[in-house]
Amino acid sequence: MATLPPSPFDRDRRNRRTLVLMAVVGLSMLALGFASVPLYRIFCERTGFGGTTSRAAVDVQVRAAAGHTMSIRFDSNVQPGMPWQFYPEHRTDTVTIGRKDMAIFIAKNLSDRPVTGTASFNVTPTQAGGYFTKIQCFCFTQQTLQPGEEVRMPVLYYVDPKILDDPDNRDTQQITLSYTFYPVEQGKKAS
Amino acid sequence: MTTITADHHGDHAHDHHDADHKPAFFQRWFMSTNHKDIGTLYLIFAIVAGIIGGAISGLMRAELAHPGIQYLHLWAQTMEGPSATMDQAYHLWNVLITAHGLIMVFFMVMPAMIGGFGNWFVPIMIGAPDMAFPRMNNVSFWLLIPAFALLLGSTFVPGGTGNGAGTGWTVYAPLSTSGSAGPAVDMAILSLHIAGASSILGAINFITTILNMRAPGMTLHKMPLFVWSVLVTAFLLLLALPVLAAAITMLLTDRNFGTTFYDAAGGGDPELYQHLFWFFGHPEVYIMILPGFGIVSQIVSTFSRKPVFGYLGMAYAMVAIGVVGFVVWAHHMFTTGMSVNVKMYFTAATMVIAVPTGIKIFSWIATIWGGSISYKTPMVWALGFIFLFTVGGVTGVVLANGGVDDVLHDTYYVVAHFHYVLSLGAVFGLFAGFYYWFPKMSGRMYNEFLGHLHFWVFFAGVNLLFFPMHFLGLSGMPRRYPDYPAAFEKWNSVATNGYMIMAAGMVIFFINLIWSLAAGKKAEGNPWGEGATTLEWTLPSPPPFHQFETLPVVD
Amino acid sequence: MKKVKSLVLAGLLAFAPALALNGQVLAQDNAVAAAPAADNAAAPAESAANAAAPAAEAAPVAKVAAPPRMKPTEGIGMPRPGEVTLQEQFSPTGHTARWLHDVLLLPLITIISIFVLALMLYVMVRYRRSANPVPSKTSHNTLIEVVWTVLPVVILLVVAVPSIGLLADQYKPAPKDALTVKVTGYQWYWGYEYPDNAIPEYVSNLLPEDKAKANGEPYLLAPDNRLVLPAGRPVKLIITGADVIHAFAVPSLWLKMDAVPGRLNEKSVFIEKPGVYYGQCSELCGARHGFMPIAIEALPPEQFDQWVLSQGGSLKGATKTAQAAPAAAAVVADKKI
Repeated sequence: MATLPPSPFDRDRRNRRTLVLMAVVGLSMLALGFASVPLYRIFCERTGFGGTTSRAAVDVQVRAAAGHTMSIRFDSNVQPGMPWQFYPEHRTDTVTIGRKDMAIFIAKNLSDRPVTGTASFNVTPTQAGGYFTKIQCFCFTQQTLQPGEEVRMPVLYYVDPKILDDPDNRDTQQITLSYTFYPVEQGKKAS
Repeated sequence: MTTITADHHGDHAHDHHDADHKPAFFQRWFMSTNHKDIGTLYLIFAIVAGIIGGAISGLMRAELAHPGIQYLHLWAQTMEGPSATMDQAYHLWNVLITAHGLIMVFFMVMPAMIGGFGNWFVPIMIGAPDMAFPRMNNVSFWLLIPAFALLLGSTFVPGGTGNGAGTGWTVYAPLSTSGSAGPAVDMAILSLHIAGASSILGAINFITTILNMRAPGMTLHKMPLFVWSVLVTAFLLLLALPVLAAAITMLLTDRNFGTTFYDAAGGGDPELYQHLFWFFGHPEVYIMILPGFGIVSQIVSTFSRKPVFGYLGMAYAMVAIGVVGFVVWAHHMFTTGMSVNVKMYFTAATMVIAVPTGIKIFSWIATIWGGSISYKTPMVWALGFIFLFTVGGVTGVVLANGGVDDVLHDTYYVVAHFHYVLSLGAVFGLFAGFYYWFPKMSGRMYNEFLGHLHFWVFFAGVNLLFFPMHFLGLSGMPRRYPDYPAAFEKWNSVATNGYMIMAAGMVIFFINLIWSLAAGKKAEGNPWGEGATTLEWTLPSPPPFHQFETLPVVD
Repeated sequence: MKKVKSLVLAGLLAFAPALALNGQVLAQDNAVAAAPAADNAAAPAESAANAAAPAAEAAPVAKVAAPPRMKPTEGIGMPRPGEVTLQEQFSPTGHTARWLHDVLLLPLITIISIFVLALMLYVMVRYRRSANPVPSKTSHNTLIEVVWTVLPVVILLVVAVPSIGLLADQYKPAPKDALTVKVTGYQWYWGYEYPDNAIPEYVSNLLPEDKAKANGEPYLLAPDNRLVLPAGRPVKLIITGADVIHAFAVPSLWLKMDAVPGRLNEKSVFIEKPGVYYGQCSELCGARHGFMPIAIEALPPEQFDQWVLSQGGSLKGATKTAQAAPAAAAVVADKKI
């Protein structure tokens, strides 16, 4: 510890060194603040935090857990002011855990001009997020609908059989998958 | 705690004719590099900001005295013209709560605690002639002025439904992005940027000063606890504020440049902002209270004429509070829909903070135990601090329980809790420190009778003001409401009466302040007697413009 | 099914008398779009709640009357004047949580505060300068320092066990056959939709002061249209926000959940007794944050079914009794809670 009286010259040098060190610490925290954006996304995807779903490749192989079913509810939202109708073909569905299944969402442009939209999504209950695995979906890809156009958008998914071993999901009988469509505005690009 | 070699006592100022040579007025106060002058500037600034922030809370209590909108519409008409709508009036309410929060946090408590007392006494207590970077110190202070001007100015420009930033001090997206058109929120965010930059510079300055500028013999484990508290606080600032800066920078780009960091429409997440904000915000509450812990430790020891009990435990309890303070942030977000495991973790982690806090409370009492107490004004305020901080702390244990917080979150129970630890904790710490060091800073004694009177009136006022808020919160009154159902009237009007008593206490304070500055008895170097063992009491009151030209030796 | 729905097509106006309590429109005014006779499982497109097109303004005339608007009981489901403690609870988790607060936490913090105050008063009197002119120089006592570190840890562990248990209870998801209601927060009102019952979203606005008074309801707590739920049945609320973050909160059901735009939150609710339970938005959401109240009207199950039919909704997995109930049964005499 600093017990010897340092000469003013030494002290200035040490002060400058501390200053640089602390500035580096501060800038690192600043960088960490910005880095938290991708880190948070990765964290959510890895852990299903906040009801983030998992993703899997098209050729993923899962073993169906015969006899174990899960009710899936589909929820749809459109940002107020967006002239779209957007709803699931079926409100609920019962699937065998581990078996791939397809759900259809239907979107229709009610206005007389083309409208581009993009969707965000999440799953409840949050503890089930990591087990809800999507193989294919329309999230975050922009969809342009011509006036009056209606499209059927598929979501290919399965419920990971590991959910059966998770004590936090012991009581989970229904998983809700929710989508919200937003208009893509001029100058506002999806990040 | 530290014994000081006697040969340098005070009078060395007279040996060096230039030690007390002060520069001319403009040079001295506007281009100041002297830590004591900058400390004084910070204190004056904090008092001004405190008057404004306190007046705003007065407006709020007046409006809340009874159900119905009493004055809000009138004020909105005054501010925005006679055509102001009720919605503009309600927006004005949100502007008031936002301004009160930001002013008290960033422009009152922090400048007073760290900028004011920290600048004044950290260098003296460690036996340093000045701060490590005097010019940077000056920059730190003067950055606060434009920051404050921006915040006050934002009140007069459009911010959505009406003029001013009405987002709450937390500035949650998307209310602060898509929900608040107009430049007011941008100005408020810039204000936070500048205030944050000021604090980060100050923090680096304090860390460097404390690590490198200590007098010979002043080891870390001999430092007064106030210096310890500022050291821990400075590290908290350095680690927490850049994260806030990043978070609000992204708010600005979301608002102005089309990014979607917090906008679900573009794949962002509004919850991310809350995580970032509270990663800063929780350490921030310790930033506000830790220097208060330090001040109270000095005062309790001085007026009990006893060294602080369990010095190392006290110092490391502050370090522990600082460290744990970084891993509990999401207890501010218990109702955002987090998963059960996350909520359990944050419940448990938050409760852990009660342990080092308990160590501090009991160590203060043990310091008094066996002492020889003189009830001078600073001691009375410090004792008030210990009890009120305990009351504020135990309600924190209630709120820490995620399951219980489901009903208390965003109610007046939370308002009561954080005003007990801040408005009563930090502010009592500030007054304790102010009375304690006033003779040292000004060279004059304050009026003891007025100091006690100020304490008792203020004590009664704030308890009457904030204690009923527990009842309001328990029975379900949400925060940030300009109007409320009739059932909440009783405790709201009690609280408003409490405010008036508190305001009367503040009048006494200012009378005492003015009287003492003008006609107070001349203060000796050490007016507190043998209990005052830290280095500032070895200097005359006020200290010479340049102290410790010969470094003191501590053994 | 078809029969019911075609009955429902008619609408509500015929039953104005039943609704005429205080002369105000009690059923949802943005009435139901004509529900086509479709398979129940596949909800018809027309009921997609967020369809931008405004609800069809077909003059609704229903054959099933909505139950009369329930009168709130003074002091139940709302704050009592001058109350100093929590509101009376009407859900199982509410009872557990209130027990945790009233029996464990509140006494604990009171005892700790009084203990600290007593210690302080003792040392302040005992060690004043006149009574103890010579201070001791003690500054360490390892034993006592260990005690006051360990003891709080033990106390916190005692608190943590029921606290964690409560959390687990609160997160128990509702069974899959629970009634699901979607709650959407808007600036500055609430929207309620019953996706499984084909009841499209209706909105709930602040009831103006004079109307609330005339209704015998507390101003600022009473909305025009309430969220109608069954008592004694599990309910799943799925909650989201349309513009900024709101929070759906009902203190007497120990319920608070943020309504976040672009994200769905879920909360299971079980209301033990029929009654009216008030709440208020609990996350700052802009100018009229304080003016978007919440009221849950919990009906006995058969009356709830009747209400669903009166709104043009369909019953999914519900009891048959209500379907069979003739319109005349609409006026239910005793709904005291």
